[in-house]
Amino acid sequence: MMPRPKIVAALIFLLSLHLAILFAGFVAPQDPAVQNRDFPFVPPTRVHFVDAGGHMRLRPFIYQWVARADGVYEYQESREREYPLRLFVPGPRYRIAGLFASHTHLFGVDAPAQIFVAGTDNYGRDQFSRILFGGQISLAAGLLATATSLFFGLSIGCAAGFYGKWIDESAMRLAELFLVLPWLYVLLAVRSCLPLHLSPAQTFLLLVAVIGTIGWARPARLVRGVVLSAKNRKYVLASRGYGASDSHLLRRHVLPHTYGILLTQAAVLVPQYVIAEVTLSFFGLGLGEPMPSWGNLLASLQQYHVLVSYWWMFTPAIALILVTIGYLGVANAFHQQLQSDSI
Amino acid sequence: MKYLERRVIHAVLLLVGVSVLCFLFSDLAPGSFFDEMKLNPQISAETVAALRSQYGLDQPLPVRYGRWVKSAVRGDWGYSLAYHSPVRSLLLVRARNTLLLTALATLLAWLIAIPVGVWIASRSGKWEDRLTLAGTSVLLSVPELVVTLGLLYWVVRTHVLPAGGMISVGFDELGLWGKFRDLAAHLAIPVGVLVLAGLPVLLRHVRASMVEVLKSPFMQAARGHGIGRFRLLFRYALPAAANPLISLLGLSVAGLLSGSLLVEVIMGWPGLGPLLLEASVSRDIYVVVGAVMASTFFMILGSFLADVMLVVIDPRVRVE
Amino acid sequence: MHRLGCVATLLSALSAFGVAGFASSTPQSPQPGEEVQVTDGQVGRYGGALVVAQRSEPKTLNPVTAADAPSREVLGRLTADLIHINRASQKTEPALAKSWTLTKDGRIFTVKLRHGLRFSDGQPFDADDVVFSFQLYLDDKINSPQRDLLVVGGKPIGVEKVDRYSVRFTLAQPYAAAERIFDSLAIMPRHLLESSYQQGKFTQAWTLTTPPAEIAGMGPFRLKAYVPGQKVVLERNPYYWKADRNQNRLPYLDELVFLFVGNEDAQLIRFQAGETDIISRLSAENYAVLSREAGSRGIELFDLGPSLEYNFLVFNLNDLGSKKLASTAAKQAWFQDLKFRRAISAAVDREAIVRLVYAGRGAPLWGNVSPSNKFWVDQTLPHPPRSIDQARELLKSAGFSWRDDGALLDPRGQPVEFSIITSSSNTQRTKMATIIQDDLSKLGMNVHVVPLEFRAVLDRVFQTFDYEAAIMGLGGGDADPNPEMNVWLSNGGTHLWHLGESKPATGWEAQIDQLMQKQMVQLKYKERKHLYDQVQEIVAANLPYVFLATPDIVVGAKKNLANFKPAILDPNTLWNVEELYYPSGAHAGAKP
Repeated sequence: MMPRPKIVAALIFLLSLHLAILFAGFVAPQDPAVQNRDFPFVPPTRVHFVDAGGHMRLRPFIYQWVARADGVYEYQESREREYPLRLFVPGPRYRIAGLFASHTHLFGVDAPAQIFVAGTDNYGRDQFSRILFGGQISLAAGLLATATSLFFGLSIGCAAGFYGKWIDESAMRLAELFLVLPWLYVLLAVRSCLPLHLSPAQTFLLLVAVIGTIGWARPARLVRGVVLSAKNRKYVLASRGYGASDSHLLRRHVLPHTYGILLTQAAVLVPQYVIAEVTLSFFGLGLGEPMPSWGNLLASLQQYHVLVSYWWMFTPAIALILVTIGYLGVANAFHQQLQSDSI
Repeated sequence: MKYLERRVIHAVLLLVGVSVLCFLFSDLAPGSFFDEMKLNPQISAETVAALRSQYGLDQPLPVRYGRWVKSAVRGDWGYSLAYHSPVRSLLLVRARNTLLLTALATLLAWLIAIPVGVWIASRSGKWEDRLTLAGTSVLLSVPELVVTLGLLYWVVRTHVLPAGGMISVGFDELGLWGKFRDLAAHLAIPVGVLVLAGLPVLLRHVRASMVEVLKSPFMQAARGHGIGRFRLLFRYALPAAANPLISLLGLSVAGLLSGSLLVEVIMGWPGLGPLLLEASVSRDIYVVVGAVMASTFFMILGSFLADVMLVVIDPRVRVE
Repeated sequence: MHRLGCVATLLSALSAFGVAGFASSTPQSPQPGEEVQVTDGQVGRYGGALVVAQRSEPKTLNPVTAADAPSREVLGRLTADLIHINRASQKTEPALAKSWTLTKDGRIFTVKLRHGLRFSDGQPFDADDVVFSFQLYLDDKINSPQRDLLVVGGKPIGVEKVDRYSVRFTLAQPYAAAERIFDSLAIMPRHLLESSYQQGKFTQAWTLTTPPAEIAGMGPFRLKAYVPGQKVVLERNPYYWKADRNQNRLPYLDELVFLFVGNEDAQLIRFQAGETDIISRLSAENYAVLSREAGSRGIELFDLGPSLEYNFLVFNLNDLGSKKLASTAAKQAWFQDLKFRRAISAAVDREAIVRLVYAGRGAPLWGNVSPSNKFWVDQTLPHPPRSIDQARELLKSAGFSWRDDGALLDPRGQPVEFSIITSSSNTQRTKMATIIQDDLSKLGMNVHVVPLEFRAVLDRVFQTFDYEAAIMGLGGGDADPNPEMNVWLSNGGTHLWHLGESKPATGWEAQIDQLMQKQMVQLKYKERKHLYDQVQEIVAANLPYVFLATPDIVVGAKKNLANFKPAILDPNTLWNVEELYYPSGAHAGAKP
C-alpha cells in the first residue's frame, strides 16, 4: 500500500519534533539543571534587529537582563553591550542518547550573557532548555506506557478473540474491572512503596509502566473485535481446513489485521499518556527535581503569583500541544488509510 | 429477562471486586490517617496509637473489610475518620454538586454534537466539514489542564466571572433570579471546560457514523424518492447511525461522577473530586472506597443503560 | 443608633421564626453582676460580616476531638479558654478566669472564674462546666489530642471544684509557665453534653451536621449554618463576656463566614477578587504580586517578620538493627560524623534559600529558635557565613577525599551519594532540597531529591526509618520552650533524628535531657532562659538538625477593616476577631 501524502506529512512533522527533542543537548543553549540564582523568573530575552542608534543590523542581537533595584524578580535590559546571536557556538557539554558527546550548540551568545528563549524559572534555569530536555522524559514516558498497554492489549485481546469461550469471558470481565479501577489511589500506593535508591527517573518510568498496565483494557477490546471478525473470514476457515496450526493462523492471517488498529491506538495513546504524566505532576506524584518534565514544568502554574505574573511559564504547554497535534494527525491519517484499505 | 438478571448479578460482582481491590490498595499505601498527629510534639505516641485502635485501624484487613460491608448494608457506607460521620451524608452532597456540573456539561455537549455532527456529515468534504474537523483537532490537542489554567488566568485578570466555588457568599440573600444568575456564573467556566473537552470526540463520532450511513444504499434510495433534506437527515439517517452513538452515550453516563476531578480541583468546585483527593491523600480510607464505589456504580449504570437502549432502539440487535 | 434599633427589632422578629428559644444575635448590654472583661482597644461600631477563606474544610465542631487546623480555626472563634495567651504580647492574660494563684511549690493552681457569664445559648457558666470540660480532655477513652498537654510529670492534672466560681488544679510536679497550658482548652457546656458523655457517645457529638441549637460555647461567635463543601457561617454571640471601654458588648461584627476554597492559590484568587476580607500566611511571591495591586484594590499587606517555625535537614541516625536497610545503615557512618554534618551546614547557602524560596521575606536559621522569639532566642549563637572552602577542609580532616571527576569519596573510597525526602505538597521545602542538592554538588556529593506524598514521608521518618535524609519543619505553636519538650528529650516522640531511644545515645543528648527537664520545673524566667540558651548552644554545636530558614508571616486585609492587629502566633489574623469592625457603613465584601 502506498502511504498517502497526509501520512507522510504528519510523520515528518512528528519526526522533526522528536529529533529536536532527541538532540536537545544540541538545540538547547543551556544546561537544564544549572541554576542562575541571580536570575529567577527572568522574562524571555528580546531579540533586536535595530540598535540603540536606530541602525538596522543583519545579525540579530540581544541585551543582557539585569535585576532592577526595586521590586522582587523585576528586570530590565542593560544597554551596555550588545551580544550578537551566533550559530554553532561552544557551550556546556552534553551527550546525545548517552553516546555521542559534544559541546557545540545550535545557537547562543558570547559569555557572560545568556539567552533565555522562554525565560527562566524560580531557580533561574533556562525554560527553553528544560522544555527540550523535559520532552525527552515526557515522550519516553508516553512511549513506554503505550508499548506496555499495547503489549498486554494485543496478547490478551488476541487470546480472547481467537480462543473464545471462557478465556474470552474472563478476559473481558477483567478488562471491565480495570476500566473501573481507582487510578489515583493505585498510583499513590505504588509511588510510596518504591525503594528510595532508585533515581527519580527510574521511579517515574516504573510508575508510567503501571499506567500502561492499567490501560490495556481498551486496546484489548478493539483487538478482540478485529480478531473475532478475522477469525471467521472464509480464507481463515479454509486455511484451518487445510490443517494450519493455531500459531500459523495467528501469525499469518489474524495478526496482520491488528496492525492497523495497533498503529492507530499507539498514535492515540501516546499523547494521552503524556497528558497523564502532566496530570500526575499536577497532583505532585510525578517526576522529581531536578529532572525536568513537561508535567512538573507546568505544575508551577498552580501558584497564583506564577500564573498571574510570569506568562512564559505557559510555554511547555505549547510543546505539549505540538506533540499532541502531531500524533493525532498521524492517528487520523492512519485511520483514513485503514478505512480506505478495508473498502 | 434472563439477560437483565445476568447483567445485574454481573454488576454486583463487579462492585464487590472493586471494593476488595480498593481495600487492598489502601493497605499497600504506607501511612494511616492519624500519622499527621505524630508530627505534633504535643501529642504523645500513645494517644496516636489509642486513636488508631479506637477506630479499628489496627485490625487485620479481612476484619476491617467485614465491618465496612456491614456498614454499607446498613446504609452508612463506612465511617469517615476525618469528619466523624457516616460516609453516605458526605458523598450525597458532593455527588449532587458534581452531577450538577457533569450532567449539564454532558447535556450541552450532546445538544451541540448531534445537530452539528449531522450537518457537517451532510457536507462531507466541503469547507464547513474541514473547518469543523480542524477545530476539533485543535480542541483535542489542548489538554484539559491547560484549558482550565488558561481560563483561570483570564478570569483572574478580567474578573468577568467568579474565579471558583459554586455560589457567592451572599447567595442566601438573593432572590430566585439572582440565585440562578449566581449559580450560572459559577458554572460557566467548569461546564465550559468539560464541554470543550468532550465535544470533539462526540462530534467526530456523530459525523463518522452519519457519513457511513449516508453512503448506504437505502439512503440513496430515499434521496431518489425526493424526501426533503431535513427529514432525510434526522428521520432516516440518524436513527440508523444511532448504534455506536448509544455506546458513546453509555460512556458519557459512566463518566458522570469521575470525569470532572481535574476541573473541580482547580476551580474549587465542591464536588466529589476534591473530597476524593483530600481523602486519598490523608488516608481517610472509607471515604475513598465510598467515592470509588459511587463512580463505579455510575460506570456500571452507564453501560447497562447503553445495552438496554440499544435493544430498544436498534431492531437489528433484537433480531440477533 | 436609631437605625440600629430598628434593625435589631427586625432581626429579633425574623429570628423568632428560627429555632424556638434561640435568642437573636443582637448584643445585649452587660447585666449587673456580670463580670465582663473590658478591652482597651479602639471603640468601634456594630455591623458587617467578615469573610475568610480556608484551605480545606473543617472536619468537626467538637473542640475536644478536633485535630486539624481548619477545625481549630473555626472552633477558636466559637469557644473560650480559662487563661489566654495574648497573641500580640505573647504573654498570658485572664480570660474566663479573672485571676489565679499558684502555691510557692508551683504545684497547686487555683483559678477564680468570672461571675454571671452565660454560654451562647443563654445558659449560665460556672465551675461545673470547667470540671466537666477537663473530664472530657482527660478521658482516656475519648483520646483527645490535647490530653497530653495535661499530663505533667507522668500524671494527669487533678481538677476539683472549690466553689461555684473557683476550681483547683493540682500538678504532680511544678511546671514552668503552667498557666500557658490552659490556652485554647475550650470550656464546654455541661448542660448540652453531659448526657451524650455518659452514654459514651461524646466522640460523635458536635459533628458538622449537628443543628446549631445544640452547640454552645463561650466564644465571640456561635454557629449559624454549615453548607457542606462550601462555607460555615457564624453569627455574633449575644452573651459574649467582653465589652469595650464604653460598655458595648463585643463582638462588633454581625457575622463571620469561613469559605472553603481548596488551596493557597484559590485563597489568594478570592482575596484579590475582593470576595474575602482577610488572608493569612501569604507566601512571599504572592505578596509581591498583591502589593503591586494593593492600592487599587483597597487592600493592605503586612509583613510581620520571621515566624516561629523552623525548617531543617535531618539525617537518619536511628538504630537500624532489626530492619533490613543495609545501604542506609552503611551511609549512617557518614551521617554520624559530626564533621560531615558541620561541612554540610557550612556548604548550605541559606541566603539563597531565603531569596529564592521566600523571595527575601524570611530569615536564615542556625538554631531552632527564630529571631522573632524575643523572649527565648539566644542572641550569642554564632551565625557562620557560608563557606565551601571551610566545608572542604572539614571533610578532608574527616578522611574524605575527591576523585578526579570531582566526586567526593568517603574514607573507605565509596562515593558519597544519598537522597533527601520531602513532602511533595510542600513546594517550599522541595525548593530548599533542590538548592541544597546543588550546594552539596559543589562538594562533590551526589544528592537525589525525592519528593514523596506527605504521609509517605511521615511513615518513613516515624515508622520504617527507610530514608537517608529529610527536610522537615517544626515549631510555630507557642514561643515558650515547653511545647518543644518532645522534640529535644531523647525519648520524645518527635526526637526525629533518633527515635525510640530508651536512654540518651550520646553525652550531649543526655545533657539536653537534663537541661530541658530542669527548665520545665524552673519557675523563674531568667534561670529558665539561661538553661534554654545552653540547650540552643549544644544543639548548634552538635547539629542533629542542619537548620535552614524560616518564612516571614505575611498577611493581608481590606483597608476598611479597623482594629486589625495581626500577630506572629497562630491564628495570626483572627485572634482578636471580637475587636474587628468596619468604620464606614456597608461591608465591602462579597459581590452579589
